[in-house]
Amino acid sequence: MKTIKILSLIALFITVISCSTDDDSTPNIEVESQLIENLNAPQEGGQGNPISGEFTKFNFATGQTTVSETDWDIAFRGTIILVNGGEITGIEDEPNRTGEAAAYIASGTLASVTSVDTSLLNQDFENSPAILTGSGAGWYIYAGPPTHLITPIAGKVLVFKTHDGKYAKLEILSYYKDAPASPDAFADLDKYYTFNYVYQPNGGVTIF
Amino acid sequence: MRKILIQSLLLFFITFTYSQEQKKDSTSVENLEEVLVTATRTIRQLSSLPLPAQIVSKKEIEAVNSVRLSDILNEQTGLVTVSDFGGGEGIQMQGLDSQYTLILIDGVPLVGRSAGTLDINRITVGNIKQIEIVKGASSSLYGSEALGGVINIITENPKFGLNGNVNYRYGTNNSHDIDVNLGYRKDKFSVSAFINRYSTDGYDLIDGDGYNTVDPFSNYTFTTKLKYNFSEKTNLFISGRYFTENQEYAAPDGLNGESDSKEWNTHIKLNHRYSEKWSSYFEFYATRYKAEEFLKDSDDFLFSEGNFDQLLVRPEIRATYNPNEKSSFIGGLGWNHETLDRTDFSTNPEFNSPFVYLQYDANPTEKINVILGARYDLHSEYKSQFSPKVAGRYEINDKLSVKGSVGYGFKAPDFRQLYFDFTNSTVGYTVLGFNQVISSVPELIEEGATIRVSLSDYEGELLPENSVSFNFGGVYKPIAELTFEINLFRNNIQDLIETQVIATRTNGTNVFSYHNISKVYTQGLEINASWKLSNYLKFSGGYQLLYAKDKDAEKAFKSGEIFARLNPSSPSFQLKEDDYFGLYNRSRHMANAKVFYTIEPWKLNTNIRATYRSKYGLFDTNGNEYLDEYDDFVDGYVLFNWAVNKTIYNNYELGFGIDNIFDFTDSENISNISGRLFYGRINIKF
Repeated sequence: MKTIKILSLIALFITVISCSTDDDSTPNIEVESQLIENLNAPQEGGQGNPISGEFTKFNFATGQTTVSETDWDIAFRGTIILVNGGEITGIEDEPNRTGEAAAYIASGTLASVTSVDTSLLNQDFENSPAILTGSGAGWYIYAGPPTHLITPIAGKVLVFKTHDGKYAKLEILSYYKDAPASPDAFADLDKYYTFNYVYQPNGGVTIF
Repeated sequence: MRKILIQSLLLFFITFTYSQEQKKDSTSVENLEEVLVTATRTIRQLSSLPLPAQIVSKKEIEAVNSVRLSDILNEQTGLVTVSDFGGGEGIQMQGLDSQYTLILIDGVPLVGRSAGTLDINRITVGNIKQIEIVKGASSSLYGSEALGGVINIITENPKFGLNGNVNYRYGTNNSHDIDVNLGYRKDKFSVSAFINRYSTDGYDLIDGDGYNTVDPFSNYTFTTKLKYNFSEKTNLFISGRYFTENQEYAAPDGLNGESDSKEWNTHIKLNHRYSEKWSSYFEFYATRYKAEEFLKDSDDFLFSEGNFDQLLVRPEIRATYNPNEKSSFIGGLGWNHETLDRTDFSTNPEFNSPFVYLQYDANPTEKINVILGARYDLHSEYKSQFSPKVAGRYEINDKLSVKGSVGYGFKAPDFRQLYFDFTNSTVGYTVLGFNQVISSVPELIEEGATIRVSLSDYEGELLPENSVSFNFGGVYKPIAELTFEINLFRNNIQDLIETQVIATRTNGTNVFSYHNISKVYTQGLEINASWKLSNYLKFSGGYQLLYAKDKDAEKAFKSGEIFARLNPSSPSFQLKEDDYFGLYNRSRHMANAKVFYTIEPWKLNTNIRATYRSKYGLFDTNGNEYLDEYDDFVDGYVLFNWAVNKTIYNNYELGFGIDNIFDFTDSENISNISGRLFYGRINIKF
């Protein structure tokens, strides 16, 4: 008898709870933080020699790398990050810009950067990529001798407009394969990006 | 204003040259108290000085069996040697880097700071009478480099007759140190010669990496000094020093190399006392430091090569004027001429810098001492500098006195910061001296490089790094055997010269140059205590508290702009204001404790010394370019040293000791602590 009473009470509660969830339904798709591990962005040359090689292109909507000439948002090669918007910056083997992508670097944690300041967005231009290259100028610090480590600067969040006008934010965690806790520039393979990102799939929405 | 000052100083010199009124000489009173010359360039009692100063006596150097200058300085309160990438070991004073402490031998400077640091291991202590350490900016007397303070090594003068000693020390790492001192002194004449040879096999803290931590090296130091008293009023001093060092490197993959450095200096000084009130010194000093190094691979292919050749010539005249017993003046007028020939330089630069200084030292009452001083350095390559200083001391009673000083200090931009033109061929970056930037820019633009700075920043002159230093303290002597000293210090340093990216090439490599950027401060507290329990037992201890911070970094932390990661690959989080630790390589706490004990009947003395350094950070480990509480730190450590010396037959002394008794090493972070060192020593006097 008692068991039946309890069971019916439980059933009642479940019904109530499911009802309230239904009422709250929203037309927007939820934003979620995603982790990309070991995105390989190789280059040829370097260390004083001319740098060349295909860029590794990435699409936020699919969360995957792509070889598409048009459906990419950002592209990696070595420490360089390009956006699919603007003009070619003038380096070797650069992909053509076909979209309206743009970027800026915000200060904060991935969670604390909650909206896009569209006035800060820049596209790539000749000699001036939206994400600046060089130690301390963009997303990383090159430690120089003796460690020669490339370390992403803490508190730098890369904010992007995608090629098709949506927004994403991204925090680079590591430049070394398998994101080691104590990287060694001589032992660990580099040009392997690990990053967290949040993609806002709802067009025109500038908050995450 | 400055012109007037120069004119009045010139007038002062002209006046002194013509006013040679003769008066009877009074015999100078020898005082048993410790005296030093560095603080005021006149002979002053240490205890009466209004500046923070310290003397390390020959007695202490001998008791602890020191060999190189770094050994003995590391045991002094607030001083620590810090090694740089170039392999040199410099001294950190009041939290200021080694390039901000002027190192003098008998009052004249050593040169050869190829990367900023003057390697104090170059200096042997075998012929030292005492080491004088003056803390706080002292550019009012010494000009450039005397920003943090001055260390002056006073060499020994011979006793009457012919005498000398031979000292030999052998220790761990096959280290040999041999000194020969010879001296002769007659009524008017004294001459001395000193030879030192030091060699070591070096040591290796990390096995299996193919490199030695310190490769074997050997060096020689030759010094001669000659003094002649023409009369009671006139005397001549001539000294010469020659130092040569050779080190061979062996690296993996058959790479091998050698570095050679040679240094000489000549110092001539003619003193003349015109009257009881007037004396003058004519001084000529020249020194050259030459270093050459190369690295070859196993096929004799030259991998890299470098040379450094610096010359300093300095004539100077100095005069003292004592109008009465209560006050004295010292003034000087001189000329620094410096040249440098160095690899990776666009030109062979030349510096010319006349200077003039004046200091007034007065005792208006028996209890008050005031020092006012100023110096003007006119420079050909950077902004001329006016360096004032004021200091005062008040004796409250026999037991207690207080003192304070405020001074300006500066360090001239070095040749590298002005003329460097260096491209690293493996990584591809370029470093340009400040004066090279404007002329190199058209070429960079032609290459397609992006200029990242406003070029107007590079049109003026690079400013010397400069500081205003404050020292306030007191001495309390409750009883004759007990002394407490306290000193609070603050150094406000600005226009620190740092590298910044001035352009980025199309291949992503950067071009750097130097600019006046940072403002930092160092502040803290130094306490020294000594207790002479009897003639045979003495305790001493010292402590320094230090906060050394970058002002912009402090602001950035305060406004929440700084983030950190727990490890290099974890997400970042925001840091709070008190998470900022400060500058690299600074320990919050440093302390030392020493016990000296003499057993008279056995003619034996022994001592135990301990030095402590608290944790410090060497570089940022969590990706925010600042040192914060979440970075990896080098752990604090204590070093214990023990020495014992016994005299036999009056002229022979045997010594034995262990440095770093508990064999402390930190192979990853500290390259200049080699582990436990045993040694034996013999000294023969004749």
